[in-house]
Amino acid sequence: MQTPEQGKPILLFNDECGVCRRIAHWVRMSGETSIIERPIGDDADALRSLNPDLDIWDAYATIHLLMPDGSMKLGGEAVADILRSLPETRWFTWSFAVSIFGFRPFQALLNLAYTILADVRPVFGCESCGTPSPWVRPIRWVRKLFGGELNPTPTPHFTSISPAKRRQRVVVS
Amino acid sequence: MPSHRSSDRIQTTTSGSFNAQVLDGKGPIAVEFMSYGCGHCRVIEPVLQQVAKLVESSEKVFRVNIGVEQELSERYEIQGTPTLIMFLDGSVVGRVEGPSPEVSSVLAEITQPFNS
Repeated sequence: MQTPEQGKPILLFNDECGVCRRIAHWVRMSGETSIIERPIGDDADALRSLNPDLDIWDAYATIHLLMPDGSMKLGGEAVADILRSLPETRWFTWSFAVSIFGFRPFQALLNLAYTILADVRPVFGCESCGTPSPWVRPIRWVRKLFGGELNPTPTPHFTSISPAKRRQRVVVS
Repeated sequence: MPSHRSSDRIQTTTSGSFNAQVLDGKGPIAVEFMSYGCGHCRVIEPVLQQVAKLVESSEKVFRVNIGVEQELSERYEIQGTPTLIMFLDGSVVGRVEGPSPEVSSVLAEITQPFNS
């Protein structure tokens, strides 16, 4: 299946996560790349039109790279393909294909690095991440404490609409 | 990774259908104001699906995507997500912000306003 955008891979990034926005910006600024970036957005049906197996909840949970042949790469596998496409990083990406008795040690390391990065996103600013993993909570607490942001949360299972989004809403309405 | 797609029991309502489905609807109705980019909404989604199944004979459950439905979000003064608003015959009878993502808790939150 060809994706609508000229058969290029599409990187879906979480536009409600500061860390993800910075990574997408870095990809954009890293010179010529064959990858198209696209914010996940709010339209579940529009996403499914790109790939029928694509679920919007999953897209927000894990990085997705939609390949022109209709397949999807997720997590560390998607990151490996993004690094392959960038002029600055492609020189070392051969290592991700190295296999020892079917085990790819460098790809496994990348998968682990991705998992850690995904977990620590709330520490560096992720408006959409929800409750961080238990091992990250103390780090976030310390960061908030020293950053002077430690306000009592009315409920721990609630994401307040950011002031920027609220302003945007007022302008739209 | 949890999948939330199997048999969606929560119907999405929009500004175009809200009046007919919710305000003109008869009986108890719960509306979840949510956003796909909200981590807490992602956590509560499968719980709400289970609750919707448990109450399907007596209560309807809808969702409003506040990323798209900004007018509805303004009208009901949504400060964040997930927010559940309970309607009885078109009138608001209860509201809860960020319920604990457990079936018993969500079930109590969306049924209690109709029992009091």
